[in-house]
Amino acid sequence: MFTHNFKYSIKILFKNKSLIFWTFAFPIILATFFNMAFSDIEKNEKLDIIDIAIIDNESFRENQIFKETFQELGNNKSKEQLFKIEYTNEEEARKLLESDKISGYLLLEEKPKVIVSKNGINQTILKYVVEEIETNSEMFQSVSERRINEKIQEEILKGKMDLDYNALSQEIIQETMKMLQNQKIQIKDISNPNLSYTMIEFYTLIAMTCLYGGILGMTSINKCLANMSHNGKRISISPVSKTKLILSSVLASYLVQLIGIVLLFLYTIFIIKVDYGNHLPQIILLTLLGSLAGLSLGVVTSTVVKKNENMKTGIILSITMLGCFLSGMMGITMKYIIDKNIPIINKINPANMITDGFYSLYYYGVQNRFYQNIISLILFSAILIGISIISLRRQKYDSI
Amino acid sequence: MKNSIEIKNLTKEYKELKAVDNLSLEVHEGEILGLLGPNGSGKSTTINCILSLLNFTKGSIKILNKEMNPNAYDIKKEIGVVFQEVAVFEELNVYDNIDYFCGLYIKNKKTRKQYIEDALSLVGLENYKKFYPKQLSGGLLRRLNIACGVAHKPKIIFLDEPTVAVDPQSRNNILDGIEKLRENGATIIYTTHYMEEVEIICDRVIILDKGKIIASGTTDELKLLAEIEEKVTVEVIDLGEKYIEEIKQMKHVDQVTYHNNNLLITYKKGKNNLLTLMDYLKLKKIKYNKIYSERPTLNDVFLYLTGKELRD
Repeated sequence: MFTHNFKYSIKILFKNKSLIFWTFAFPIILATFFNMAFSDIEKNEKLDIIDIAIIDNESFRENQIFKETFQELGNNKSKEQLFKIEYTNEEEARKLLESDKISGYLLLEEKPKVIVSKNGINQTILKYVVEEIETNSEMFQSVSERRINEKIQEEILKGKMDLDYNALSQEIIQETMKMLQNQKIQIKDISNPNLSYTMIEFYTLIAMTCLYGGILGMTSINKCLANMSHNGKRISISPVSKTKLILSSVLASYLVQLIGIVLLFLYTIFIIKVDYGNHLPQIILLTLLGSLAGLSLGVVTSTVVKKNENMKTGIILSITMLGCFLSGMMGITMKYIIDKNIPIINKINPANMITDGFYSLYYYGVQNRFYQNIISLILFSAILIGISIISLRRQKYDSI
Repeated sequence: MKNSIEIKNLTKEYKELKAVDNLSLEVHEGEILGLLGPNGSGKSTTINCILSLLNFTKGSIKILNKEMNPNAYDIKKEIGVVFQEVAVFEELNVYDNIDYFCGLYIKNKKTRKQYIEDALSLVGLENYKKFYPKQLSGGLLRRLNIACGVAHKPKIIFLDEPTVAVDPQSRNNILDGIEKLRENGATIIYTTHYMEEVEIICDRVIILDKGKIIASGTTDELKLLAEIEEKVTVEVIDLGEKYIEEIKQMKHVDQVTYHNNNLLITYKKGKNNLLTLMDYLKLKKIKYNKIYSERPTLNDVFLYLTGKELRD
């Protein structure tokens, strides 16, 4: 019965013209429009080297990781140059910022502080670079300390009592630095010559396609609910368990949705030449989970909202469009505004989880921020599916 | 006589309203039971309760001697339902629609294929296999609706107003199909407010009003309840009050009404009432266009019992 319902659910979904339009055609049409609208802007607005200042105080000079990393990112002979850095004092830096000559400046005291006067892509990049270096720095410090302690204990156990602690520490610090080279490379990825802030539009487009899966999920569930459709009544009196019916229907929707996303990827990669970077497994993982989140949104809307199908479709479309808008679909500034002022909105916004996942993957590689988005999507889906299961347990209705 | 369905004291309340009120009934194996009643009388609610689609306030429902509940899959296997709303998928053609619903009951593909052919033949849709629902007329769509509900050859079939808004040809086809289902041994619960259909196909009839059984029995038994032997209708123009009064005084006459040039006379008993009336009209030189006599219908029974028409 599972296969039977699965097979026919796919057939029904594929023959539903409006669903096919929203799932397959609409994202491709939108991608084409995005490409037409942004390709010229893109040509003219390749990301420039960012002017920043660093307060050249004692803390900065003593912090080897910060110092070396910024030296490298500010090296004008390097192809990977990201920043043009002015090493100065705080007063001067403030003046430069006020006169818009720099995007922001770094003040390293006990903790690094990024001072900016407005929001934008340059400011965000500076902020995230500093965050990444800070993370690496902390990691470096803790790994070094641990390794030094281990080494000392090891040497003492061997019976060596005349240890040169300075030499030992230097040796271990050098080794640890080498170990953390990979981390540095990920920061360098930021200077990817293809860096494009209009990419965010395509990320939100994928997010939108993932969330449109909600309509597929809702349609599939409605088909099985006696209080939602005449077919649901007929299916509900059949000798097939609700769990089997719903699982097979949801799985069919998921498959159809994934086909839609694959088509969008193929179209954007091969026809309009969008570069999604080179983290394919992570992209697939993010897309699978994004689609699951979309599907869960549809399933929970179908089971919890006691309205007709049109109303439910409206709810899903509204949530999707609003979510995409807040995560930067109609302009990247919105994402920055929300991230800065009401971050909770984007933390619970599934469209932003997907968009930000792609964004962090593209700009920073496989880092914590990417995994945070992955975990958020899993949690989002799990909560919605949990609510749906509780709601679906009810087998009889008070009215039909 | 074995019972296929036993309902005891079924009550379904919606806040203040009792949609089904302490209803008890038995459906015998192999019979066609007509559930008759006007809109809102509780027919569909009763069926939805029997099918475990609706919660009910109190009572018990046994089907094939087992307590019915949403997880009683062994009972559900033996049930087929044709709801009054057409329940088919617009995206699937006739054959696939029947295959989909039949497949929820019959796993074996070969058996299912045969069952689908039988269902198509039962409702006369053999030539429409590849048609999509929107390509079918209302009558054909109703037939598809029936085929989807009975293709798995259930022992118990609920037909909830299957002939609403269909053309006479499809209606006859549907009624023939129901007869065939009964011949094949199915027990049928047939709800409608078309009393003529009930008179044709039902072995027993239950009349519901406001969620209560107000009468039950064979159609002949029910007609006796109306205490009417005969109804005579005469199409006559400008009949004077004097004549109406004289007709009222005639033997066996119960009631006389004259409305829109139609004279309706009901007789409680007696024979040759029509001839007596015709003799009177001839004697009085009253010209008439049409005159005919009818036996009382279930509608008369309903009218007698509730004071309102079945289709109110």
